[in-house]
Amino acid sequence: MGQIMEQMPIVVSALNVGFIQTLKLFFVTLIGAFPLGLIIAFGSMSRFRPLSYFSKFVVWIIRGTPLMIQLLIIYYFPGLVLHNPIWGGGEAGRFLAASFSFILNYACYFSEIYRGGIQGVPVGQEEAGLVLGMTRSQIFFKITLLQMIKRIVPPMSNEIITLVKDTSLARIIALQEIIWAGQAFMKGSHGISGAIWPLFFTAVYYLIFNGILTLLLGRLERKLDYFR
Amino acid sequence: MKKWIVFMLTMVTAMSLTACGGASDSGSDTKTSSDAKTESDSGASDESDVEYVKGKGTLVVGITDFEPMDYKEDGDEWIGFDADMAKAFGESLGVDVEFVEIDWDNKIMELEGKTIDCVWNGMTLTDEVTSSMECSNAYCNNAQVVIVPADVADKYQDTESLSDLSFAAEAGSAGEAAINDLELECTPVKTQADALMEVKAGTSDAAVIDSLMAAAMVGEGTSYAELTYTCGLNDEEYGVGFRKGSDLAKALNDFFASSYADGSMMECAEKYGVQAAIIEQ
Repeated sequence: MGQIMEQMPIVVSALNVGFIQTLKLFFVTLIGAFPLGLIIAFGSMSRFRPLSYFSKFVVWIIRGTPLMIQLLIIYYFPGLVLHNPIWGGGEAGRFLAASFSFILNYACYFSEIYRGGIQGVPVGQEEAGLVLGMTRSQIFFKITLLQMIKRIVPPMSNEIITLVKDTSLARIIALQEIIWAGQAFMKGSHGISGAIWPLFFTAVYYLIFNGILTLLLGRLERKLDYFR
Repeated sequence: MKKWIVFMLTMVTAMSLTACGGASDSGSDTKTSSDAKTESDSGASDESDVEYVKGKGTLVVGITDFEPMDYKEDGDEWIGFDADMAKAFGESLGVDVEFVEIDWDNKIMELEGKTIDCVWNGMTLTDEVTSSMECSNAYCNNAQVVIVPADVADKYQDTESLSDLSFAAEAGSAGEAAINDLELECTPVKTQADALMEVKAGTSDAAVIDSLMAAAMVGEGTSYAELTYTCGLNDEEYGVGFRKGSDLAKALNDFFASSYADGSMMECAEKYGVQAAIIEQ
């Protein structure tokens, strides 16, 4: 136990560095996937058949394959097959490739949630808007979208919390997030080798961060309770 | 109007998606990709990897955190026997050296995809390595050793006594190969450290890892204080790996020969306590 207390400051500072990578990937993914998901949702709901088939095809591919494989394909294929390593070998390139994969993957899941949310708004709402003489875009932004946001908060919270934990998959392309940082102590890093506990200790970071998120999302859900 | 905007936006997304869709198409079409590969391979030998590295001005070295070969002590700089030699090699080529931590399982993909230029991290020259990479001459000796709990260590001092044990070893490592050669039961795990955890947790009776690592990781002052290492299974050698057909391997052999001759290699080895294992160049 004394040994762990001695190692604690070194381990915590290394884990913090890893957790910053985790957080960066988390926020970049959310910022990219929120709007992209909406675009894909519009595509899937389009009355222009080729477009809706195409969107559904993309969603099928992305939801139907493991995120880990998508990371490997997106990072290694440009260099292996096209002979042009567009991402580069450094940490920045790995982060970009990971962000791209995560945004694409999460946008597809979000798009289905959005679609459910939009299609779940009763037709009567749209008809009421028409009667009031609103244009289609007014109806979408002032009536449908608002009610959709309220409806999708619980399923989106689920995905957002899953995303926090999914970021650990990025270690497959050697993005040094918190699990990577924790595991490094098993083999030896920062002068500590053969320490198992830092890997398990990373769970505390996830738990605390998800606890904060749960509180915030719960508060958001209550704030949006204005339609009833 | 709105429909058109939606349509345009979706097409933009579609374009970016087809970009990677295209990549996977050419991947599944083995003929095209293998054709392209042969072209690039011959291209590599024509253009020379040395020129490629000099052209971009950086040698990207793929490593893992592995004391005493590549590790960080204070601050951000990579040190260790391999790291210092890599820096000296980069200097001799007149290029900067950039160290990148990689996932060991993906080292060949990293090399072929040109995200790194060499693997320089106490890499055992196994058949898998020598057949998929252009390797330098061996520069350091190592052995695979058996790890068991210290209280039963007396019973397992030679290879004959190991037959009733279940082993854990890193998948694809020289240790796993050694266990398979002895036709013993083996669970492949992700890293050498995981293999140690198996023994500590009691899910395997013993592990096989390399001796440099065993010296650093088990015994007093580690989380594995109750483990110890007993017999060695086979001797092996470390080398540096480059892309298949790369002329960097020859350049490094020349560099090893000259730095061994002028004593700078031994000097570096003494700094990290690995001088006993260095192979004459």
